[in-house]
Amino acid sequence: MLDIGGLFAYEFFQRAFLAGICSALLCAALGVFIVLKRASLIGEGIAHLSFGGIAIGLVLAVYPLYTALILALVGTLLISLLNRSKIVYSETAIGLMFSAGLAIGAVLASVGGGFSVDLFAYLFGSLLTVSPQDLQIIVLLTLIALIFIGVFYKELVLMTFDERSAHLSGVPVVAFEVAFNVLVALAVVASIKIVGALLVSALLITPAASAMQLSGSFKGTMLSAFVLGLFSVMAGMLVSFYFDLATGGAIVLIGLLVFGVCVAVRKLFKLGKRELAPDTICAHGMQETRFEAKDGSGEKDV
Amino acid sequence: MSYSVGNEALKEKVVEVIDVTVRINNLIVLDKVSVDVDRGDVLGIVGPNGGGKTTLLNAVLGLIPIESGQIRLFGTDIRRFKDFHKVGYVAQNAIQFDPIFPATVREIVSLGCLNRARLGRRLGKEQNEEVEKAIDLMGLRNVADRKISDLSGGQKQRIFIAKALVRKPKLLLLDEATAGLDQCMQDHFHNLLRFLKSEYGISVMTVNHDLSGVICQANKLAVVNRQLHYTPITPGLDPSKMLQDAYGEHFTFIFHHDHQTCQAPEASTITIKEGGS
Repeated sequence: MLDIGGLFAYEFFQRAFLAGICSALLCAALGVFIVLKRASLIGEGIAHLSFGGIAIGLVLAVYPLYTALILALVGTLLISLLNRSKIVYSETAIGLMFSAGLAIGAVLASVGGGFSVDLFAYLFGSLLTVSPQDLQIIVLLTLIALIFIGVFYKELVLMTFDERSAHLSGVPVVAFEVAFNVLVALAVVASIKIVGALLVSALLITPAASAMQLSGSFKGTMLSAFVLGLFSVMAGMLVSFYFDLATGGAIVLIGLLVFGVCVAVRKLFKLGKRELAPDTICAHGMQETRFEAKDGSGEKDV
Repeated sequence: MSYSVGNEALKEKVVEVIDVTVRINNLIVLDKVSVDVDRGDVLGIVGPNGGGKTTLLNAVLGLIPIESGQIRLFGTDIRRFKDFHKVGYVAQNAIQFDPIFPATVREIVSLGCLNRARLGRRLGKEQNEEVEKAIDLMGLRNVADRKISDLSGGQKQRIFIAKALVRKPKLLLLDEATAGLDQCMQDHFHNLLRFLKSEYGISVMTVNHDLSGVICQANKLAVVNRQLHYTPITPGLDPSKMLQDAYGEHFTFIFHHDHQTCQAPEASTITIKEGGS
């Protein structure tokens, strides 16, 4: 029988669990926007750049999450620049960064041979390697990102729904896009220790994709993504611990299972096939329209 | 029916388009066009496809650069204009949004409250009341909590009109906003425009292919086909010459209804008959 209480007696598991909660919340929140902006690959691109950054850190004997964060931020800004200046399409810019990160990582791994075990943990995630310093960084990055999303929630929703409308509403669209991509970089770096660089984009995409099967409102989708993301991460960590599996792989497989269940629930209960809502204004043919006058003098024929 | 704004004291320039030329991909789309919109004016914009109607609205909104000339909104050059909370806009293809986007009618309408001065601030009681008022005005009360993709095309269009109205704009730009609405909803919408104009002095620039709708609702008519022909609308106005200049000689205009009263006993449309004599 599983002794979950006993599991939390281990300090390393407490740290990993807290880091997992942070990653789940952060990735779920950003993931909804990313999926709806049809920019699912951005997480992949930034994660691979971070992998290059980690390799740099390991070679230079610098704390790898710092170098990963720096390279992720530089790559993020380059993606925005290449896209906005119309030098290349957005997905091409992401592809370029993706390749650059992986190439840097591969070259440095061959140069520095001795850190292959560490690198494997960064690639696929590991419960054992979340240090107190990692946890501090992860909590800090999560707080920054969640506060930004909480404060500018409506602006981000409008930008995601209709960028032109956001521009006309006075939302500084370019600044917000850069800020959002920076948040994605923070989320990726914060999650690398748990799910690994190769699988972090799945943590961004799967909770959002699952939540979209269940909810008809944006707020509902965000809340569902939080719940489903947390469930996937917690269940994945427990499975990883008890069956000695790669943490990232276990979390992502459970996330994909959750997605399958959500799709089945949607199909079964026909959540996405509701009848057209009735129209009442013209339901009884032509009719006189009355509007209330602003001076409160009652209704007014127009 | 009166076409005049009625109070000359209210005449203040809301939109000034002065000798504006717009070039897109080396093609002149608007050639030295000029038009004014005063407070309370309803400017109807018609013209053939590709004639520059949407480009004119985009230029007025500052969404595309102009090659020469000047555009002022509320007296401020568009390049320096920041008060976009005074402007409501319904885009031509507004209802062609992502069909799986998870949002309710109320959520989308409330997004219309956003403006530069309120960045990062939650909607207050007053904004929430405006959202509910706009939902009622556009007859969306019974679907306020439904997912937007559950609605018909006409209902979707009304969401965007409600979103534009919720910020209580002084200027409303409508790019074929009644396209996809049935006759009853078009009448409802025209009544609403009349109400907004009379009660709030709101100014409107509306691109529309329904000429009878334009002539009955607007007090100024602009026909755009790279150049802009412009006239105040008065009872008995026959815009045939202007329209023929813009559309070409191969069109015949057949008026179906009593132009003096805008009553349409049988059909309230003006037909543009292509290939007529």
